[in-house]
Amino acid sequence: MELVQVQNLTKIYPDSVSGEYRALDGISFSAKAGEVFGLLGPNGAGKTTALRILATILKPTSGQAKVFHFDVATQADYVRHSIGFVSNNTAIYDRMSAWEMVEYFGKLYGIEEDALEERMHFMFDQLQMRDFRDCPGAKMSTGMKQKVSIARALVHDPPVLIFDEASLGLDVLVARALQLIVKDLRDQGKCIIYSTHIMREVERLCDRVAIMYKGRIVDTGTLDELAERHHQGDFEELFYQLLLRGDAPMESLFAGGVS
Amino acid sequence: MNWTHVKLIFEREVRDQLRDRRTMFTIFFLPLLLYPLMGMVMFEVAQFHKQEDVVIGVVNADKLPANHPLIESKDVSIQWKRVDRDAQLDHFLESTSNFSEESNQREKTQYSKSIEQTLKQYEIDLLVHVSEAAANEDWISSLKVISNQRWERSVVASTLFQARMEQIHKDSLQDKLAHAGVDSASLEMPRLNWVDVSPPDSKRSIIWTKILPFVMLVWALTGAFYPAIDLCAGEKERGTLETLLCSPARRREIVWGKLLTILCFSLGTAILNLLSMYTTASVVMTRFRGSPGSEMMAAMGPLPLHALAWLLLLVLPISAMFSALALAVASLARSTKEGQYYLMPLLLVGMPLVMLPMVPGVTLAPGTSVIPVTGAILLSRALMDGEYLQAFLHFPTVSAVTLFCTLLATRWAVRQFESESVMFRDGARTSMKHWIRDAWRKREATPTANESILCGLLILVSLFFGRLSISATELTWISIVQSTLVIQIGMMLAPALIMATILTKSLRQSLRLNSFSFRELLACAALAVVLHPTYSVLASIIGHEYKLGEETVALLQQFDLILSAAPIWSVVLVMALIPAVCEEIVFRGFIFSGLQRDSGHVRAVLLSALLFGLSHGVLQQTITASLVGLLLGWIAYRTGGVGCTIVFHFVHNTISMLIATSSSRGDMVPEWISWAVTTDQGAWAYTDTWNTLSVGVAISLIAWIATMRASSSSRTPFFVPSKIKSVSP
Repeated sequence: MELVQVQNLTKIYPDSVSGEYRALDGISFSAKAGEVFGLLGPNGAGKTTALRILATILKPTSGQAKVFHFDVATQADYVRHSIGFVSNNTAIYDRMSAWEMVEYFGKLYGIEEDALEERMHFMFDQLQMRDFRDCPGAKMSTGMKQKVSIARALVHDPPVLIFDEASLGLDVLVARALQLIVKDLRDQGKCIIYSTHIMREVERLCDRVAIMYKGRIVDTGTLDELAERHHQGDFEELFYQLLLRGDAPMESLFAGGVS
Repeated sequence: MNWTHVKLIFEREVRDQLRDRRTMFTIFFLPLLLYPLMGMVMFEVAQFHKQEDVVIGVVNADKLPANHPLIESKDVSIQWKRVDRDAQLDHFLESTSNFSEESNQREKTQYSKSIEQTLKQYEIDLLVHVSEAAANEDWISSLKVISNQRWERSVVASTLFQARMEQIHKDSLQDKLAHAGVDSASLEMPRLNWVDVSPPDSKRSIIWTKILPFVMLVWALTGAFYPAIDLCAGEKERGTLETLLCSPARRREIVWGKLLTILCFSLGTAILNLLSMYTTASVVMTRFRGSPGSEMMAAMGPLPLHALAWLLLLVLPISAMFSALALAVASLARSTKEGQYYLMPLLLVGMPLVMLPMVPGVTLAPGTSVIPVTGAILLSRALMDGEYLQAFLHFPTVSAVTLFCTLLATRWAVRQFESESVMFRDGARTSMKHWIRDAWRKREATPTANESILCGLLILVSLFFGRLSISATELTWISIVQSTLVIQIGMMLAPALIMATILTKSLRQSLRLNSFSFRELLACAALAVVLHPTYSVLASIIGHEYKLGEETVALLQQFDLILSAAPIWSVVLVMALIPAVCEEIVFRGFIFSGLQRDSGHVRAVLLSALLFGLSHGVLQQTITASLVGLLLGWIAYRTGGVGCTIVFHFVHNTISMLIATSSSRGDMVPEWISWAVTTDQGAWAYTDTWNTLSVGVAISLIAWIATMRASSSSRTPFFVPSKIKSVSP
């Protein structure tokens, strides 16, 4: 069952220098339940914009995106109840403890008090957050913060989860723990959109991927399909080839875009 | 709107702010500490001030007879110091003589410096030179007193010495009268029997009612702004805003939750400051009793509790308004640092409104009650003074204005939160070169709303400085013509024409030089005639509410006199036609077209009218011109161009000029218009009949214009005759 459907999605930002900046240029993809769909691309490829649109934080300029069969532009309230959004931009409150933070979002999602407490106990056990449940955000390590962010995104048990470069800045241990959590969530039947530019992560986690460059999807498929199609077994090398084929001079890959 | 979300967000934000030590210190502890500390410092300074006596040096004190009252003074604040003469002092005394005779400013400065040095050298604040004639009867006039009014201590010494001399003179006069057998008491003016019927409570609150609302509002604004920065810019900076934006809470609910939090802190800060200041001041006043100035302190006394209660009640709507404004402004900032920069403009805009009620003579009236903030302060003052009837009468207006401003600011804040460009603004650098290149490349037939507003602001600023320089010139007909041409063509028309040429592709469309029918033209001319009586009534009501200063009235009378002496055709040309053409091309042309393109016709009408009103420079004219501007904007929208508004404006100006000049000359009203115009104390005025009748005709004409096709920029240029237009493909 396809829980995320993106059709011809376009997003144009006004730009003070060039007049307008086309962050997304008609991208289309879909993701199913029980699947990790990877969104890959260099900085400025449009990954964050696409995921922010799916999370209803931004509105598309044109095209359509549906999450759990709800349109992100016209049924944003329903979409928000159907997703959990974790990004390196979604920070946690410095002056709130882990427990308070998750409880606050649980209440915002309208979960009944008893059910919320039960759910939180379950999540705090599962994510091993018991040790720092009363620790204020300001005193947490990056790994702790990321766990709180995940707990916050999972508190209402959404069918779709969006991870936008969630492993950015995490050490090896925490990054590995995050991967385990994502795999576990996939096994629970969640549909996961996972954006990253770390190839090892893609190889370990993603069932299917879409490679993005300059607001467009250069190619999409399973890793095996891509390897076969482009005669390249090394995924990192394949990624480079695809970008170069997509008229990308090497120096432009280092240029930042709207993130 | 889901109020559970609002409540949850509100509770979280309040708890978050209460856990922030910096906020707690600024909002709660600072007011509690600040005023008691200030009170303590005042005590210290007062004691220090009491101990410091002034030193008055006396030269030639030996020339005074023994027991002379000048030296035998028992004044505790003055230390008398005998100064012996030497060559240096003689030179100094000579210098002081030269000082008064010297007219050269440079020389005076040099003398002044040497005198200052000498006074410092002798460690005295004031020097009294006793001359040889000191033993005479009129010894006081023979004294020469040398002071330096630049020094605070010398000023104090001068005041004390003057008082001392007056006392000596009075004592000496009484002695003489006693010798002559006259009762000196008869010289004193009999004491008047004053009866002050003001209640003691309100008498005591007079000074408080001026100070406390001011303090309350300043702190309400300050208390609103810092939490607003933290709740908007701070959250953006910390990345927690995006977390909240992807939660089920809608933007409107987030805004309301944050707004209520800011309101809480604004209220808390204002109330705490008010109470802390009030308590400290009451204690300080009690301690100061019996010392100099105690009468004033006693007059202030403690503020009656009911007055304090009114003040606390009124802080709510004002805090709400400031909170909404602060939230909207703070949401523009990307970081707390950037947010701090926005505080100053908000304070600068708010301060005049807070200061206005402190101007002597400004009271609660229909005119002042419609001014945001000012009206609320005046209402609170009326309530504190016990003027309940006056307060009751103006309460609806003040409440409506405050509520309107609050809702407007809240709506603005919601829009900011809904705007992607505001919430996810990147830190792109500002490049003038890119901006100009972009503006040139992307220019369209009409300007953008921003370009229109920029044009309006440029005109307002140049008018401000232009009028300042023009006001210095002597008022003659030639100077009036010159200044009108400079203002209308140089400062209004030229910027609009230049901007239209550079920033747009079509002068015709950007200045809205579209075609019009003669029927429309005649209707607008007739409308100007029939609406003039209503305008006159409105202008007189506004003139009554916002009275002009005496100088301005005198200047206007002189202006009318000069116009009445000038040839009528030239008055109509300079004062009616040129302003009509220039102002309409600017305000209903360039500014209107840009605003209409980007913001719709309603905002185009409102903003162009406001800018048009502000361009008139005088408050009374600003109000009337803004109201007329609304009508002109509407006509411009309905008729699609500036042709009809130029005609309306011209006819309106012409009638105003004719009535003003005829009144100044004292002309008789011609027989043929006597049914509509009469003379009232020498001035021309409309008859009641015409006043009433004209309203009916005006409504009919407006209704007819309302049926016209709405504005469109695709109309043909007005210089293309309609017949040609109709046969062209």
